[in-house]
Amino acid sequence: MSKNINVALIGNPNTGKTSVFNQLTGLNQKVGNYPGITVEKKEGICKLPRGVKAHILDLPGTYSLNTTSLDESLVVELLLNKNDKDYPDVAVVISDVENLKRNLFLFTQIKDLKIPTILVINMADRMSRKGISLDVAAMEEKLDTKIALVSTRKRQGIDRLKELIADYKNISSAPNLDAKRISPEYFERLQRTFPNEDLYKLWLVITQDVNFMPIEKKRIQDATDFTTKSKEELKKLQHKETVLRYQFINNTLKETYKVDFLAAKGLRGSLDKLLTHKVFGYLIFFVILLTIFQAIFDWSSYPMDFIDEQFAMASEWVKNTLPPGIFTDLLAEGIIAGIGGIVIFIPQIAFLFLFISLLEESGYMSRVVFLMDRLMRPFGLSGKSIVPLISGTACAIPAVMATRTIENWKERLITILVTPFTTCSARLPVYLILIALVIPKGTFLGLSYQALTLMLLYLIGFGMAIFSAMVLNKILKIKSRSLFMVEMPTYRLPLFKNVAYTVLEKTKSFVFGAGKIILAISIVLWFLGSNGYSDDFKNAEHIVSERIEKDGLSTYSKNYIQNNVASYREAALADGMSATVLQDSITVLTEELKERAIAQEISSYKLEHSYIGQAGKAFEPFVKPLGYDWKIGIAVLTSFAAREVFVGTLATIYSVGSDEEETIKNRMAAELDDEGRPLFNLASGISLMLFYAFAMQCMSTLAIVKRETNSWKWPLFQLGFMSVFAYIVALIAYQLLI
Amino acid sequence: MVQQLLAYGTLILAVAFLLWKYLLPKSFGKKKDKGCGQDNCGCN
Ligand SMILES: Nc1nc2c(ncn2[C@@H]2O[C@H](COP(=O)(O)OP(=O)(O)OP(=O)(O)O)[C@@H](O)[C@H]2O)c(=O)[nH]1
Ligand SMILES: [Mg+2]
Repeated sequence: MSKNINVALIGNPNTGKTSVFNQLTGLNQKVGNYPGITVEKKEGICKLPRGVKAHILDLPGTYSLNTTSLDESLVVELLLNKNDKDYPDVAVVISDVENLKRNLFLFTQIKDLKIPTILVINMADRMSRKGISLDVAAMEEKLDTKIALVSTRKRQGIDRLKELIADYKNISSAPNLDAKRISPEYFERLQRTFPNEDLYKLWLVITQDVNFMPIEKKRIQDATDFTTKSKEELKKLQHKETVLRYQFINNTLKETYKVDFLAAKGLRGSLDKLLTHKVFGYLIFFVILLTIFQAIFDWSSYPMDFIDEQFAMASEWVKNTLPPGIFTDLLAEGIIAGIGGIVIFIPQIAFLFLFISLLEESGYMSRVVFLMDRLMRPFGLSGKSIVPLISGTACAIPAVMATRTIENWKERLITILVTPFTTCSARLPVYLILIALVIPKGTFLGLSYQALTLMLLYLIGFGMAIFSAMVLNKILKIKSRSLFMVEMPTYRLPLFKNVAYTVLEKTKSFVFGAGKIILAISIVLWFLGSNGYSDDFKNAEHIVSERIEKDGLSTYSKNYIQNNVASYREAALADGMSATVLQDSITVLTEELKERAIAQEISSYKLEHSYIGQAGKAFEPFVKPLGYDWKIGIAVLTSFAAREVFVGTLATIYSVGSDEEETIKNRMAAELDDEGRPLFNLASGISLMLFYAFAMQCMSTLAIVKRETNSWKWPLFQLGFMSVFAYIVALIAYQLLI
Repeated sequence: MVQQLLAYGTLILAVAFLLWKYLLPKSFGKKKDKGCGQDNCGCN
């Protein structure tokens, strides 16, 4: 007979719950070397010996059952509610061998709920380096449980754990600590009033709202003959409970857990001193940042250019090979350009996540949190807000969810509101292409201007987040600040598998998440760009030919012809072509180029009078003061769906109706403004980058903010405030620089 | 003719996708609670 049992993985943050979960279930949930990675419960199935099937729950890390924040309360609510469909038949407490003492606190609490509880001591692979030795059998006896010594790194102990889970009926569910010892008189009374309830459970329910939200509190208030104690008294009792538990734990560990400090090879202490040093800590962080940005820039520019060229060639090929028609045009100008606008960013997205995940996995990220915490304290923010801000460099969505670890609602709200200022990976493509276009290549003290600019943009985003948090803090007035304790996980050599997995996963989610949107928008834009209703659109050929007859070719076309002829002449002279032949061939070439230029002028006239052109022209007055033309205006507008759309949109608009397939970068570089200067110049480029740095251009983030704050008020506030601010900053930047 | 058919078919697909992605109420036609947990940027 096959049985289905519920298993809950519980433990302090960063002890490896998700790693154990992944090994039990064969799934691949995110693992990272800092606390607070998992904020929601995750489920999976595991087949156990003897035909038992287990339904495994991975839960957010929690330090104790006296919860203080939303993610932690998830755990308590589950354990207190016997009717929950996920209520565990057996609890598996995951602990970290290096922090066993603190970890056991939670273990004893869960055990006292009379749930059969197995103890996993994880990271066994670190024992020899740290000089730790355990007497597992004695510990099992003292704690009245079964222990699995596990190392998910080395894949050891998982089989024993499976055995233990399958055999959960034989695990004692007797408590470690008699709840009555906390306060005999009070608990006696409780017992009399609720004879059918479990005492320790009652106690947890009563004390929940001391720290956080009430759970089933009503039931207790209904019992009128029972007077519960004041908050202060309850807190005192809680304190007493803590002391009793630690007495029990110390007693247990005294004989079973030994650390030979001489055997421990601890680089950690001195390394931490350096990395969190008041001066050097920041310096090192700064250098690391710079290195990362320089590398992203240097390494990704080659594959980017390569991809860009391949796509230009592909659309050329499609145009020349497929029978002419509307679908061929759509394919060459809309679809391929759109896909190109996605694929071109794969290298940098991959590099960015490579670095992020290296920092996370090695444990350095927690030191950064520590550094930032020190920096932000004077501004009245607690360090708990830092983790979301930092993880926002990947994407604002998980970052907004990460705020669930903040117990103070106002502080959480502020963090949610300012997190989208952090430079997320979607801004990177926009920055990179603009920087390549408008920032000169030179170096300053050996650092390239381009990498410096990129780093500056990241710092501006972060600075803006902190600054607006400060302002909001003044306006919203937070009374009590969250308790913050930075935990310093040990340094670990990043596991190649975890790093590779993160990079792959993120890149995939970019291609298939943002990519679908970019592609769809490109297709729609192409249609809007190659159709129109006005007479101007329909009679474009006629109108443009007449204009050319009257006024001659446009400056752009003239330049185009001149440049082409000049480079042809140079090449021909270098080949040793005779003067007369050269003259003749140049005449022919000029004619040819002229024809092409006329066709180009017709199609750009058409584009201007297409649906998209008309919409863009209507919108142009708004963006003109920022230095953008209507095409950039359209790209800015479509970016409100998602920022990544920017480049794809431009690629599509520029290629509508054009015969020559060019790379996106060259096309952008060739755009001229009314006065014949490059459209993407320093002033307009910086203005654009600043706009993207500050504007709230991400529908998905708005949706998640709505979900997390439970109202449209805050996302709309965010959208309005950030976008207006972005507009003003971009305006000032352009007007100052032009 | 074939070209027209293909082209407009693609357009309809693209428009339908965008509408579904952005305008439809969350619960309709989508799997409920994908648990856009850790990494799912653009989830929802
Ligand atoms: N050396 C060693 N490291 C491990 C082991 N198991 C997990 N880790 C590392 O410990 C870190 C935390 O692992 P997670 O599985 O994310 O921990 P978690 O308990 O789910 O963390 P939260 O979800 O944040 O509470 C990661 O860097 C893992 O690679 C192990 O057996 N040995
Ligand atoms: Mg986890």
